[in-house]
Amino acid sequence: MNNFNLIWLPFLYLYIVGGGFFLLGLVLIIKTNAIEISKPNHFNWLLILIIGFVYYFLIHFLFIIFATGN
Amino acid sequence: MDFVLGTNLDRIIILLYFVLVMSFGAYFGKYSKSTSDYFFGGRRFSWWLISISIVATGIGSHSFLKYSTKAYEYGFSSTMTYMNDWFFMPLFMFGWLPIIYYSKVASIPEYFQRRFNSKARFIATFMILLYMIGYVAIQLLTLATVLYKIYSIPLMSTVIIIALVTTLYTHFGGQTSVIFTDLFQGLILLFSGLLLFYLGINYLGEFSNLNGFNFFWDNLTTSQKLPLANFNSPPDFNFVGIFWQDGIAGSIGFLFMNQGLIMRFMAAKNVNEGRKAAAFNVLIILPISAIVVSNAGWIGRVISNTNPNILPLDMAPNDVFVVITNLVSSPGVFGLIIAALCAALMSTADTLVNASSAVIVNDIYRPITKNKNSDKKELNIARLASLLVKIIAVLLVPFFNNFDSIYEAHGWFHSTFTPPLVVGIFLGIFWKKFTSSAIIATFLVGGFLMILGQFYPELIKPFSHGIELRPGKGYSYIGALYNIFVCATVGIVVSFFTKPPDLKRIKGLTIFDVKDLKQIFKGSEINEKKGEKISVEWKRSNQPNEFISFSKNDMKRMKAKKGDLVYLSDSRKWLGGLKSIHSSFDKSHNEDGIVYLSSSLIEKGLFIDNKTLTAEKEM
Repeated sequence: MNNFNLIWLPFLYLYIVGGGFFLLGLVLIIKTNAIEISKPNHFNWLLILIIGFVYYFLIHFLFIIFATGN
Repeated sequence: MDFVLGTNLDRIIILLYFVLVMSFGAYFGKYSKSTSDYFFGGRRFSWWLISISIVATGIGSHSFLKYSTKAYEYGFSSTMTYMNDWFFMPLFMFGWLPIIYYSKVASIPEYFQRRFNSKARFIATFMILLYMIGYVAIQLLTLATVLYKIYSIPLMSTVIIIALVTTLYTHFGGQTSVIFTDLFQGLILLFSGLLLFYLGINYLGEFSNLNGFNFFWDNLTTSQKLPLANFNSPPDFNFVGIFWQDGIAGSIGFLFMNQGLIMRFMAAKNVNEGRKAAAFNVLIILPISAIVVSNAGWIGRVISNTNPNILPLDMAPNDVFVVITNLVSSPGVFGLIIAALCAALMSTADTLVNASSAVIVNDIYRPITKNKNSDKKELNIARLASLLVKIIAVLLVPFFNNFDSIYEAHGWFHSTFTPPLVVGIFLGIFWKKFTSSAIIATFLVGGFLMILGQFYPELIKPFSHGIELRPGKGYSYIGALYNIFVCATVGIVVSFFTKPPDLKRIKGLTIFDVKDLKQIFKGSEINEKKGEKISVEWKRSNQPNEFISFSKNDMKRMKAKKGDLVYLSDSRKWLGGLKSIHSSFDKSHNEDGIVYLSSSLIEKGLFIDNKTLTAEKEM
C-alpha cells in the first residue's frame, strides 16, 4: 500500500483545500467589514475562528502520529 | 441477517420512551401561540439550548447505522464527515447567520425571492421540500428496519407507528416542542452512545490482561486507526470523494441550506447566541458525535480482528450497530440504546417536518392567498401541513426501500439535491453580480448537466482524482465535485452575460451589507453603548398595545434610550429563554427596579407573578 497516499496526502489535501476555503472566508468577512476587528467582541470571535482551525489541525495531526506510532 | 433481537424488558423501555417524548412534546405545545412561535420559537432561546438541540437534528437514525458500518469496515476514518465543518464557520457566523437573522426571512425560498425573483423561489421551494420530505422518509425507513428486528412488526406498519408518534407532538407544539424534545433527545443520544462505547471497552477488557482500552487500540491495524481514509481508493470509500461530497457539499448544505437548522438558529435570542451555539456545536459536540455514531463499528472491528467467531456468521456490516449493542449490553440497557436510535429519528424528523410546514405556509400558502390571512388561520394551516408532510414521507418509504442500501439512497439524495441550491445560496450571498437569470440557469442547466454526468461517467473522470470507475455504477462521492463545478460554472458564465441586479433591491441580502444589517433590522440608528444587565420586578400596565416601560435610572444603567431594543427574560437561566420577550423601550417612569408591561407582552413572555426578570438593552 502506498503509505503517502494512505497517511499524509489526505491530511495535506484536507488542510490545503479546506484551509483555502477557510482563509477565503476569513478574508471575505474582514474585507467586507462583516467582522469588525476593532470591536473587542468581534476580535475575540476572530481568535476563536483561528484557534478552532488549529484545534482541528492538531486533532488530525496527533491522531495520525499516534496511529502510525511515529 | 434475519433474527429477532432484545428482550421484553427492552421492548417495554422503547415503548416507554416513545410515550415520554410524546408527553414532553405535548407539554411544550402550549407555548406555541403564533406562527412566529410555531416556526421560530419566538426567537428567544439561549445558545446552550440551541446547541444541544442541534445535536439531535444533525444525528439521524441513519447516522448510527451508516457510520458504524463504515467504522466496522474502515476504522476511525468513519469520523471524516463530522470533522470538516469548521472550514465554513467564518462565512456562516459572519455572513449567512446575520443575513438570515436580521433580514427576517422566514424560509430559504423566501431568500431566493428577495435576492433573485419569484421563479427562483418557486424552483427552490420545490427542491427544498423534496429534499426534506425525502430525508424524513429515509429516517423512517432506517428506524423501521431496526425496530423490525426487535418487534417483528411488518416494516410499513412500523413506519406508520413511528410517523404517528412524531407527528403528534410536532403537530401541536411546533418549534418550541421541537427544541425542548430535541434538547432531551440530544442528551439521551450522547449519553447512550458514550455508554455503548464504555460497555464495549469493558467487554473487550474481558479478553486479556490488558485494560479494555489498550486491548481495543492494540488490536486495530494502522490503517484502521488513521482518522482519514486512503486518498483515492477503494472507489466506494476514499478520502477525496468523501471530502467533496460530505466535507464540502454536505457541510455547506447542512449549514447554509438546511431549513430545519436555519430555523433553529433563528430561534436564538440574538445573532451572538447563534454564533456561540454554532462554535460550541462544531468544536465540542461534533467530535463527540463522531464517537457516538461510530463506536459500535470500532468495537465490532476489534472483536472481528481478535475473536471473529463471537459475531454471527451471517452478519452483514450494516447490522453491526444492533449486533454489537445486543452483545455488550444487558437487557434493559439494550432497550435504552435503541431508544437513543429512536431519539435520533424523531429529533431529525420533527425538525424537518416543522421546517417543511414553514416552507409550505411561507412559500406556497402565503403567496397564493397574497398574505391576507389571520395568524390563527396560518397556524392551523401549518399544523395541517406537518400532517401532510408526514403522509407523503410515509408514501415515499417504499421508493427508498428499493435502493440496495439506506446508505446508497442517502448518498444519491445528497448528491442530487444539494449542489444547485448550495451554489445558488453561496454565489447569492458572496457575489453581488450573481443574477436572477443565472440562478435559474444554475437550477435548470446545471441540473441537466448533473443528470448527464450520471449517464456519462466520462464527464466526471477529469474530476476523479484517480478514483476507479465502478463498472455499471459510475463514480460515487466524487460526483459531488463535478456537480458543484458544473452548477457554479453555469451560474458564473450566465452572470457575466446578463444585467447585474439593482444593488438597492438586494440591500441587506449579501455579505457586503452585513455591517449595516443591525440598523436595517432596528429601523433606526443603533445604540452600541455597553450597559448593565439589570434585575426588575414586573407590573401590569393598562396600555392596550405592546408597551414596556423602565425607570429613568434603570435605563441609564442599561445605557438605553427610548426606541432601543430590549430583551426581557425570566431570571432563571436554566429556562434557556423560554419565558422571554423582545421589545423596544417606551417612555420612562420613576419607580426604580420596576418594569411596566402591557398584557400582550406578559402573555407573550409567559411571565409568572413574583418572578424576577432580567433586562438588557440589545441595540
